[in-house]
Amino acid sequence: MIIWIVFAILTAIAALSVLVPMARERARDGEQPSHDAQVYRAQLGEIDKDLERGLIDDESAEAARAEIARRLIAAAKASEDNAKDRAGSSRAIRLAQLAAIVFVPLATIGLYLELGTPNLPDQPLAQRLAAKPTQQDLPLLVARVENHLADNPQDGTGWDVLAPVYMRMGRVAEAATAYRNAIRILGPTVERQSNLGEALTMANQGIVSADARAAFERAVEIDARAVKPRFFLALALGQEGKNDEAAAAWRSILDEAQGNEPWIQAALSELEKVGGELPQKFARSGPSAGDVAAAGQMSEAERTQMIEGMVAGLDERLRSQGGDAEEWVRLIRAYSVLGRQDKAAKTYEFAASSFEGDPASMEKLEAVRQALDIAPAGSAGDAPAKPE
Amino acid sequence: MMAMTVEFGHYALVLALVLSLVQSFVPVYGALKGDARLMAVAGPVSGMLFLLVGLSFAALTSAYLASDFSVQNVYENSHSLKPLLYKITGVWGNHEGSMLLWVLILVFFAALVAAFGRSMPEALRAAALGVQGWVTSAFLLFILITSNPFLRLQPAPAEGQDLNPILQDVGLAIHPPLLYLGYVGFSITFSFAVAALILGRIDAAWARWVRPWALLAWMFLTLGIAMGSYWAYYELGWGGWWFWDPVENASFMPWLAGTALLHSALVMEKRNALKIWTILLAILTFSLSLLGTFLVRSGVLTSVHAFATDPARGVFILAILCVFIGGSLTLYAWRAPMLKQGGLFAPVSREGALVLNNLLLTAACAAVFVGTLYPLALEAIADDKISVGPPFFNLTFGPLMIPLLIAVPFGPYLAWKRGDLLAVAQRLWIAFGIAILAVLVTAWLSGAERILAAPAVGLAVWVIAGSVSEILSRARFRDVGIATGMRRLAGLPRSAWGTALGHMGLGITALGIVVTSAFQAEAIRSVQPDDNFELSGYELIFKGVAPRRGANFTEEVAHFDVYAGGAKVSELEPTKRLYTARRMPTTESAIATFGFSQLYVSIGEVREDGGVDLRAYYKPLVTLIWLGTLVMAAGGAVSLSDRRLRVGAPKRARQQAAPAE
Repeated sequence: MIIWIVFAILTAIAALSVLVPMARERARDGEQPSHDAQVYRAQLGEIDKDLERGLIDDESAEAARAEIARRLIAAAKASEDNAKDRAGSSRAIRLAQLAAIVFVPLATIGLYLELGTPNLPDQPLAQRLAAKPTQQDLPLLVARVENHLADNPQDGTGWDVLAPVYMRMGRVAEAATAYRNAIRILGPTVERQSNLGEALTMANQGIVSADARAAFERAVEIDARAVKPRFFLALALGQEGKNDEAAAAWRSILDEAQGNEPWIQAALSELEKVGGELPQKFARSGPSAGDVAAAGQMSEAERTQMIEGMVAGLDERLRSQGGDAEEWVRLIRAYSVLGRQDKAAKTYEFAASSFEGDPASMEKLEAVRQALDIAPAGSAGDAPAKPE
Repeated sequence: MMAMTVEFGHYALVLALVLSLVQSFVPVYGALKGDARLMAVAGPVSGMLFLLVGLSFAALTSAYLASDFSVQNVYENSHSLKPLLYKITGVWGNHEGSMLLWVLILVFFAALVAAFGRSMPEALRAAALGVQGWVTSAFLLFILITSNPFLRLQPAPAEGQDLNPILQDVGLAIHPPLLYLGYVGFSITFSFAVAALILGRIDAAWARWVRPWALLAWMFLTLGIAMGSYWAYYELGWGGWWFWDPVENASFMPWLAGTALLHSALVMEKRNALKIWTILLAILTFSLSLLGTFLVRSGVLTSVHAFATDPARGVFILAILCVFIGGSLTLYAWRAPMLKQGGLFAPVSREGALVLNNLLLTAACAAVFVGTLYPLALEAIADDKISVGPPFFNLTFGPLMIPLLIAVPFGPYLAWKRGDLLAVAQRLWIAFGIAILAVLVTAWLSGAERILAAPAVGLAVWVIAGSVSEILSRARFRDVGIATGMRRLAGLPRSAWGTALGHMGLGITALGIVVTSAFQAEAIRSVQPDDNFELSGYELIFKGVAPRRGANFTEEVAHFDVYAGGAKVSELEPTKRLYTARRMPTTESAIATFGFSQLYVSIGEVREDGGVDLRAYYKPLVTLIWLGTLVMAAGGAVSLSDRRLRVGAPKRARQQAAPAE
């Protein structure tokens, strides 16, 4: 708000610089001596003085006097002519006053609002730097570290800290440089090498360049089991069109996976892209998001068929490879939901037999049996048959 | 409370634009109608405009000092690590800021006229300030619409992009302000000329009022050009002091026209003649300044096509150019025939000599004009890029300077109205003898291979000796004795001293140019540490290269010891710099001065094995080029201090019809 008061004062002073001289001039509206005549009279006096000092002779002094006298007469005549139309018009004065009072403020404010940013205060760097770090903008913090590094380019830790920040800000090329510096000073680690490769890849629109590949290969040299570099190397093989090698690489990564890593979906879809077969443990791990979406569009029969297929898949895996109590419980529930009580009972029996001596698992199985009211298949034979 | 300096500066600039529109109409109308109240507005509003643009400039400067990167102009041209001096000079080291400086000087001159121009008729002063208001409003509009230095960035970037390293030099602190004081200063003579045409009253008194302003602008322009030349000499690393580059020509053309104006205004004042011509020169001089601004600021020089792709600025300045030059020349064509021409005069007379001066200077100006604009026109029309280099200018400009230099010593000796060439020649025989002696000595020293050097040196010496002998002859030592002579010398009008100094400076500059061009020695070689080589009697020993760190750059410093006659006389440290923010390399040459001559070394890339490529020059009397311009400008200052020219001061005795003989 204060700024508008300051603007108003400045504008008022500007308007006064027009108004005051006009008002003051009215007071002394007298006859003004001709300035030309003054100059020529001064020149006449100068000739006399020159003559006294002997700088010019009589003859040239006389000639000069005559010339100046002619100019003087001309000037006097011009000044008379001028005086005749010296009366000013009050309309012009009023227009000028109007311009000062109305045009100057309105035009200035209008134009300024169009061009200026009146709500944006100064932001001197020192003041921004002095602000608490929590209030500082990220770019400024980065700039601080950058300044520090410009002075201490051998501070490897600084580069190590700055690099991931660059990555997050999307300044991938600078991130790559920072990782390089960190590697040069602190030495290579799997993490730095693979992050460098990642930065280079991102800087290259997601294509793994030769530089990036070299970085990933260095990382693999350090730790052959490291996932990140192998992931990108597999990606590189796919990008080069070496589909078989890529598929093998993807499978080897997926084989070692726990199953809950965040990158698994990406790896699986890359594997599918290069036309490789999905490893079995992932093939049966459940419906993918795509499958579920597809299920929504199916007819009732198709859906049931799909679900039955998936349940059958799970059954087969558990029987051949085994699984934990949770998975068996899931299978039992699935059969129950599908209305296949017999299957549910058989599954329970199978599971219970495999978990003998494991009270915790047995407890879970027993819980589901009671909840679903499943008759143990084994005892079913022993128990008296229900009346039909 | 939050500081709002930047927005305050922006507002002040907008207010200045609006107020300059008032200035454009009110006093001019008043002058035409003879209304004293409307005319009275001119002075105070001029002062107010200077205050407003000054506040605006100060606000921008403070944003630079505080590294306020929320101002786009600061972000693009500054860096927080930049040394203080370059934070200040960075204000005008870019397009937007330099245009603001341009306008600041425009309103500064108007304020000066308002403050010191009280001796002239009110109507002329009011109309001239009004015309100055036209120019001011045109350029303020240009700045606010196309080149606004107060545009903001939100959020503010953390660090600036730094100033072009070539501009990070003391030269930038001095050169542009001086140059602008010069060529924007000629706006005042333009405004007076247009005002006189509007009012229809042009007489000898006009020249008397206008000449000091022309002299002031001319002094600054002389210094500005010289400064720019010296800056290019040591900064660009090529050892050249003038390149006939369009940017240089842009400031040189107004200088040539302005020099002609100074001389023709003298004729107008004393003889009431050459009035039409003088008015035309006043218009042309500032038109050439505007043209120079257009050439430098529109980007047309980089490439005509680059200009066409981003034409907003260029077209705007071109429009300003057309309106002002076209408008003033139309006014001139309409009014000039109404002027009564003054008395005729004999060809051999002071005024005759001044006409010769004007002919040669305007012809030289035309040559530079053609050489500068022809390539641009050709590129625009025929899509053909040619460059008009020094050979063109040496063949056109050079020959025009020879008769000019021959004639210079005669001018001040000749009487007004009718001179006696023979009598003048008799008085100049000593100067002529000295010049011949110089020719012989030069010929003897240089031998036959530089056959043109001797007469050229003779010509330069002729101008110097001629101006010295003129001032001495006015004292009449032979007639009145030493004591009275000295008194007479001291009592001479300052304008006579000004003339003598101005001409002497010209001779000194010419001498420097001739000698350094003819006798410069050059060595281009690569050296290993502890290599030594000889150049014009100096032995240079290369001691090796070491790194060094500056505030915002790193550099490789090559160290040379300089020996002459077995004794170490100097050390030279040319460097190769890398400005960290822009990753931009520059070459910093090293210069050792011996008397008026200089040894100049600059290096190329530093090689892996510690060796460097270098070029070294010995430039005899090279500093005279710039010392001469200092003497010229001093002549201008002395002449300006002459009491009869001192505006507003009481008038005093002066010679009217003839120099003291």
